[in-house]
Amino acid sequence: MNHLITAAGICKEFCIGSSTLKILENIDLSLHSGEFISIMGPSGSGKTTLLYILGCLERPSSGSYLFNGVNIIDASDDELSHIRANNIGFIFQTFNLLPGLNVYENIEAPFLYRSLADSRINDRIMDSIAQVGLLERITHKPSELSGGEMQRVAIARAICADPLLLLADEPTGNLDSHTGMEILKIFMKLHANGSTIILITHDREVASVADRIVYLRDGKLV
Amino acid sequence: MQLNSKLFKFITLAVKSLLQHKLRATLSILGVVCGVAAVLSMFSIGEGAKRESLSQIEQLGTTNIYVKSIPLTETQERKSRAKLSQGLTLYDAQRIKNGCRDVREIAGLRELKASVFGATKDIMPQIISCSPNYASMLKIPIFDGRFISDLDMQESKLVCVIGHNIAKNMGASGSIGNFLRIENSLFQIIGILRRIESKERKAGAISLRNYNDLVFIPLTAASLVSKSASVIGATAWPEVTELVVGVSTAQQVLKSVPALKRTLEITHGGAEDYQIVVPQELLNQSRKIQRTFNIVLGSIAFISLLVGGIGIMNIMLATVSERTKEIGVRRAFGATYSDIIIQFLAESIILTFTGGIIGIIIGLGGVWLISAIAKWNTAITMLSLVLPLLTSILVGIFFGLYPAYEAAKMDPIAALRYE
Repeated sequence: MNHLITAAGICKEFCIGSSTLKILENIDLSLHSGEFISIMGPSGSGKTTLLYILGCLERPSSGSYLFNGVNIIDASDDELSHIRANNIGFIFQTFNLLPGLNVYENIEAPFLYRSLADSRINDRIMDSIAQVGLLERITHKPSELSGGEMQRVAIARAICADPLLLLADEPTGNLDSHTGMEILKIFMKLHANGSTIILITHDREVASVADRIVYLRDGKLV
Repeated sequence: MQLNSKLFKFITLAVKSLLQHKLRATLSILGVVCGVAAVLSMFSIGEGAKRESLSQIEQLGTTNIYVKSIPLTETQERKSRAKLSQGLTLYDAQRIKNGCRDVREIAGLRELKASVFGATKDIMPQIISCSPNYASMLKIPIFDGRFISDLDMQESKLVCVIGHNIAKNMGASGSIGNFLRIENSLFQIIGILRRIESKERKAGAISLRNYNDLVFIPLTAASLVSKSASVIGATAWPEVTELVVGVSTAQQVLKSVPALKRTLEITHGGAEDYQIVVPQELLNQSRKIQRTFNIVLGSIAFISLLVGGIGIMNIMLATVSERTKEIGVRRAFGATYSDIIIQFLAESIILTFTGGIIGIIIGLGGVWLISAIAKWNTAITMLSLVLPLLTSILVGIFFGLYPAYEAAKMDPIAALRYE
């Protein structure tokens, strides 16, 4: 089976003054299309940094990383932007919706950077809103939505371009358990429909919905 | 997404972002508004003044030089007589024509104070006794009949040419062949002037006459209507108040002035009872004043635009700082470095462009007020509208580029983590 992600020996270091802070050490991770994995670990273990590297937002200090056959280490900034725009959907813990835009416009915003024909955009947006069950809230601003609704908008925004990879960083972290469970059900439904998902959490119960759980501690896979 | 659609989206996005802070956006464009209004006013006033100067020069004639007699006090007149000056007469004209190579022709005129029978408060005609060539030299258009001829002049005929308003005021009696009573003499109307769009103005020492309200009579007939229009001495040269000296080409005008001065110094025995006015010099003076005016207003406009631009930059930097998280999110969506530049640049350009439009509206109002209150001539040209608008866009680009660059160079990860 073809791997969507092949990361080998990924290291990430930050220089703080004269000292070097190692965030990730020798991470080897492969993921094939349609797989759903959870990355678990305590705070400060490097989960989010790994997510950003896998999401082509950050480059590793060393190691190799192939995304869908493209060598990310050698790709230019614009190439990385293009990959993110067309192949990766991000879901953040704090939703990160744009406050001045309504539900529809928030979901539409990433299309500004995607190579997709204008005629298909509206259908995609409406489909994704329907998938997360927010059709009646389409003209509402984020300030008029509950936490669960905001996260559903964020999911709709991430899935509406039908990306190859969905990256969710603590998607239930800011939600109560009931709403969190509803969000997880959406992820399970997406996975059942063939989406490839990497979910980051420190909650074992949340992580258990994935096919595979990867543990990260002090920047190393354990 | 298609390119034009993408551009439209960027503009829509920019407008939406700006509308979220209406008051801030409005205050930030005030400097640009003032600058653009100042630029527009400067251009309109400058253009108006330029056109007025040109129209004055046109009316005075670009190839003409004016010699005007100066009203003297008794003492000055005594001194003048002592130097054997006879004042300004057609003798001067004769000497100038003989002494100055490039002089083509000379017309003399005398303004007279005489009452015209039938004159009303609305029409108080001024009498001008002049040489026959006066009309051709100043390109005065005849509507009906003819202007004063050499024969009229030689025989001191009692004929007159009347302006359009005089003819209109006189009704049926203001037509060719009828008579007009000036003091105690009856002058036959031989010509009527075409209506000329002009108003009485001063161009240096020369009055720009409103030909519509004038009555022209032969210079030699002046003594019949005014006692002051005397014939000087034994030479019997008619006294004039003004000589119009026509030079062959416009290029020769300034070169002819020294010769003209020398001739007049001789004929007047050094008495300073005349004054030489060169329309071209007036134009140069007017241009110099205009240039100074443009520099002053241009500086004000520049400073306003500079201050306005700095205001825009300040607001945009604050906006970039406020929207750090948004920048991070957009980078995560796949926005490139140039996408972020375009997004913020679009906002600053829309801000200054809006300021430009408002500035133009205010500027037009200001120009209208200046025309109405100060009675200045103003002219709004396409350039005076396009240039300020273009400048406002350039201000938006220039002062928006740095904040846009600051936004684009942000580390996406740091921006996403920003709280």
